[in-house]
Amino acid sequence: MNIKALLKSLLLRKFTTGLLILQLAITLGLLINSAILAIDTNNKLAENTGLDAENILIVSLHPTSGEYRDLDYYRSIVSEDLQQIKKIPGVESVSLINQLPINKRGMLGNVYDLDDPELVRKDKYLQDVKIFLTNEELGNTLALALLDGRFLTKDDELDFASDKNGNVLITESLKKALYGDGSALGQETNNGRVVGVVKDIMLNPTIPADKQYGVFGNRVMEFIFTGRFYLLKVSPGQMEAVRNKVSDTILAVQAERDIFRVYTMAEHMQRFYRHDKGLSQLFLMLCGLMIFVTAISSYAYSQFHISRQKKFIGIRRALGARKKDILLYVLTENWLVYTIGCVLGLAMALAFNILLSQYISLSKPDMMLFLLASAIIFVAGTLATLIPAIKTSNIPPVIATRTV
Amino acid sequence: MRSDSMFFYNLSLAMQSFKRAPTLYFLIMLTLSIGVGVLCANLALVNSMASDPIPEKSDKLIHISMNTWPGDQPPDEPMHILRYRDAMKIAESDIPKRSAVFYASGVYARDVESTSMKRFDSDVRATTPGFFELTNAPFAYGSAFEKDHGMEVVIGDELNQKIFAGKNSVGKTLELDGELLTIVGVLKSWVLRPLFYHATEGRAFNLTDDIYAPLETAIDLGWSIHARSSSADNYSGVEDTRDKNAYYLQVWVELDDVNQRSLMQSYLDNYSQQLKEAGEHPLATRNELHNVNEWLSVKKVVDQKVLAFTIASVLFLAVCIFNASSLLLSRFHAAKFEVGLRRAIGASNRHMLIQGLTESVLLGIFTGAVALVLSWLFLKLSVQFLPRLANIAVLEPKLLVLGMLLALITSIASALYPLYRANRYTISAELK
Amino acid sequence: MLKMNNISRIYQNDTIQTHALRDFSLNVKAGEFVAVTGPSGSGKSTFLNVAGLLDNFDRGQYELDGVSVQGLKDDELSRLRNEKIGFIFQNYNLIPDYSIFDNVDMPLRYRGFSASERKRRVEEALEKVGLASRLKYLPSQLSGGQQQRVAIARALAGEPKILLADEPTGNLDSLMARQVMEILHDLNKGGATIIMVTHDPDQAREVSRNVQVIDGQLADFRVYAPLDRTKGNAGETIFNAVNEEMADA
Repeated sequence: MNIKALLKSLLLRKFTTGLLILQLAITLGLLINSAILAIDTNNKLAENTGLDAENILIVSLHPTSGEYRDLDYYRSIVSEDLQQIKKIPGVESVSLINQLPINKRGMLGNVYDLDDPELVRKDKYLQDVKIFLTNEELGNTLALALLDGRFLTKDDELDFASDKNGNVLITESLKKALYGDGSALGQETNNGRVVGVVKDIMLNPTIPADKQYGVFGNRVMEFIFTGRFYLLKVSPGQMEAVRNKVSDTILAVQAERDIFRVYTMAEHMQRFYRHDKGLSQLFLMLCGLMIFVTAISSYAYSQFHISRQKKFIGIRRALGARKKDILLYVLTENWLVYTIGCVLGLAMALAFNILLSQYISLSKPDMMLFLLASAIIFVAGTLATLIPAIKTSNIPPVIATRTV
Repeated sequence: MRSDSMFFYNLSLAMQSFKRAPTLYFLIMLTLSIGVGVLCANLALVNSMASDPIPEKSDKLIHISMNTWPGDQPPDEPMHILRYRDAMKIAESDIPKRSAVFYASGVYARDVESTSMKRFDSDVRATTPGFFELTNAPFAYGSAFEKDHGMEVVIGDELNQKIFAGKNSVGKTLELDGELLTIVGVLKSWVLRPLFYHATEGRAFNLTDDIYAPLETAIDLGWSIHARSSSADNYSGVEDTRDKNAYYLQVWVELDDVNQRSLMQSYLDNYSQQLKEAGEHPLATRNELHNVNEWLSVKKVVDQKVLAFTIASVLFLAVCIFNASSLLLSRFHAAKFEVGLRRAIGASNRHMLIQGLTESVLLGIFTGAVALVLSWLFLKLSVQFLPRLANIAVLEPKLLVLGMLLALITSIASALYPLYRANRYTISAELK
Repeated sequence: MLKMNNISRIYQNDTIQTHALRDFSLNVKAGEFVAVTGPSGSGKSTFLNVAGLLDNFDRGQYELDGVSVQGLKDDELSRLRNEKIGFIFQNYNLIPDYSIFDNVDMPLRYRGFSASERKRRVEEALEKVGLASRLKYLPSQLSGGQQQRVAIARALAGEPKILLADEPTGNLDSLMARQVMEILHDLNKGGATIIMVTHDPDQAREVSRNVQVIDGQLADFRVYAPLDRTKGNAGETIFNAVNEEMADA
């Protein structure tokens, strides 16, 4: 034994061990953050929308012919559409609307009580309230929960040339922002007189749940060219049947329409988060690859390490170690490396989390996730090193007496 | 001659080495090429998003944002969309060489002579004629319209393919939302990545427009605004916006040289000051000029999700290199007897190094080839997961070169330490 | 203590069958110090491997301290090695990154002794070989002779029934070799049974019995008269047939 060779061999092992630990740490860091992304996305998708999303069908469309520039013609076609759609078996109610809930942008406006315009300065969300132009059916179609007052009626539709403010329905959070705990009924806002308050539905998922400000007015017939969506409330179990018929029904009324898409509110929600989901799936894919590569490394590491330790394993066997002692010895050595890797991985996960949050929004890692991800690393690593470990335990003790 | 044969000798040694441990070298190649492939696919996306769409004059094209909102609570400060009279004030200035004032709209289009009633959903750019020269729009047939008014349009290649099968359609008439307009020009296939002239509202990677119509005509026809608009007044339709505080027009100017920026700036500031003195807006004067690249970076057109994923794939590549390195280390360790033997019969350290490098270069070339295939695959996969990226998922030649280089670099990098180790095995220790 | 009866060990490769041991028989009684000599390739290493339960054999019976070893499972063999046998190797076979203490301690761990019991035994064993002060040293910090003494301590710590030494002085200079041999002789006087493979005829002469292996067989055996070192007299040599010797046993 010469000291120099021994030191060299230790250094050599330090290098490979260091590499593996780094790999493990990076893998764990990515694993944890990918899991966070996936969980975040799932949480977002699982958020309560306040809507019966499975039973609401959306038809988005646009007329293609110049005839529709005549708004009275446009209105007559839409009225006919509404009547025909309602006749489809399974349709409970139908309305026309200018924009969809669960959307970031859309038609926004500021809303304040006419007596207190300054309120808008205190609450920036009051500057970007969703303004829905719709008809009297909306309360039924979205199954809105009325908290106070009444839904919109046919009578709330104003004369088309009128410059009066009509009657409006507002969401609960908007009511709270404008009137606190007091009653909103009969109050005059810049968008109309409040006749009813409905429970919040998810209008814009990117802002806080208690800032889902929305105003609904019965004005879509007046601004008929803004009516881009039919909303259909469908009886449970009838969705496919209605979905198959609705386009033909509309085109049978008048064919010069471009129907972009027919989809449920649930699908609309999925679409809204499609890119979040896509990103989390990409990350999970990368994780899979990374675990695969790290497993290869663990395998190569123990293989390499064992090939250098063969003699010493033989000595241990000669001195009375059983096969399972050797197996445990090799695995313990690997587990030690994984433990160091995982501890370092925790730091890596935090650093990576901070780095990623410069670009995308994601939650902070928690202990449970760390433990889970570590468990995955341990299982994957142990599986990868099992074969070399078993091979090692099969090293015959007779090696000990061979002189090298 | 001698070095030639040495080179081929080294090559054959490398091949032998691969053959001796095929699984190991396959794993090294596989992991490295996955790593390079993923990163390369991401870099392709970032490259598309971060590139300069009009390098010949990107520093002379200036986007103008102004602060002329009449109330004290503007939607943005300053606003990238302007109202009609502000836009016209800029258009009438003779400081810039030319200007473009436009908004995005959409109509349904059909050839009036066609027997089919099928109408095509078409994106419209309602613009002043300066747009074409300012953006270097490439004409296949005909030319730009010359005035802000007129029942004339220029159409894009894609729409021309759809309606006229790609033939010269100049002089044909289109029915657009019930109005008849004549085609005066047809563009060639025109790719702008990013679409710098409309980089807002998540449109930076949309295709170029289908129809280009004179601004005043589009306003008169009431072609609705298909992009962001903000208004301090009520208005019934676009035709009603010219004298309203309705903000929806984007303005670009082309300067003769970059030094005119300050002239342009003071022209705008002067104008704002006059408005302010007339009591038309309470806000501070704040006019911003951005050239193409500044504008794209202000608008963060590079998808943040892709950037995040790029970071992850850099780390992944690091893991792949570490992996290859430890695999190679065990390979070289196993082969150290041979190394010792070669050293003993007179191969110098340099020889051994060159032999090792030859091996990793060869490995790098294989890796590169596989990586390019994989990066194409990952690009397709990314688009599956992030459909918004469909228009930018292209592997340009320079990306192919980059991928190859990356493969070579990673292959050599992962061999460096193992080689260094291998060359320090003492001759005697291995041959006793 | 150790009884081998007609043991055969055959190594087989594609073309050649090698009889490393051929109907090999040997009986070692408790307290004996047996030297095994023979030319290289004669089978003496194989004998030692089989005797130490490191290698298995193809035919014959082998009884170690009353336990018949053929047919035992791997784990049982490991236990026997651990409890009954102490190994001393030519190249010491210490684990280089373990301290002296840890090296001696290692087989005791496999025995399942408590920490205090192990500590006591390790210190005692190292005391015996005169290295009690070097507990924390690494093997590489010791001379070859000292390393071999550590290896002897490791072999002793488990209080084995029999010590198997494979060329224990093969890597040592004569002075150190002398020290090691003295320790072995002291142990033998203290009652230890020792089997030593060696190529050194002087060492072979010093022990109570010398057997020679040629072509995988016990060629003959010589019993030397009790050692008289002062005279340097090798004593009288008596030749006998192997089988007769076995019959006595």
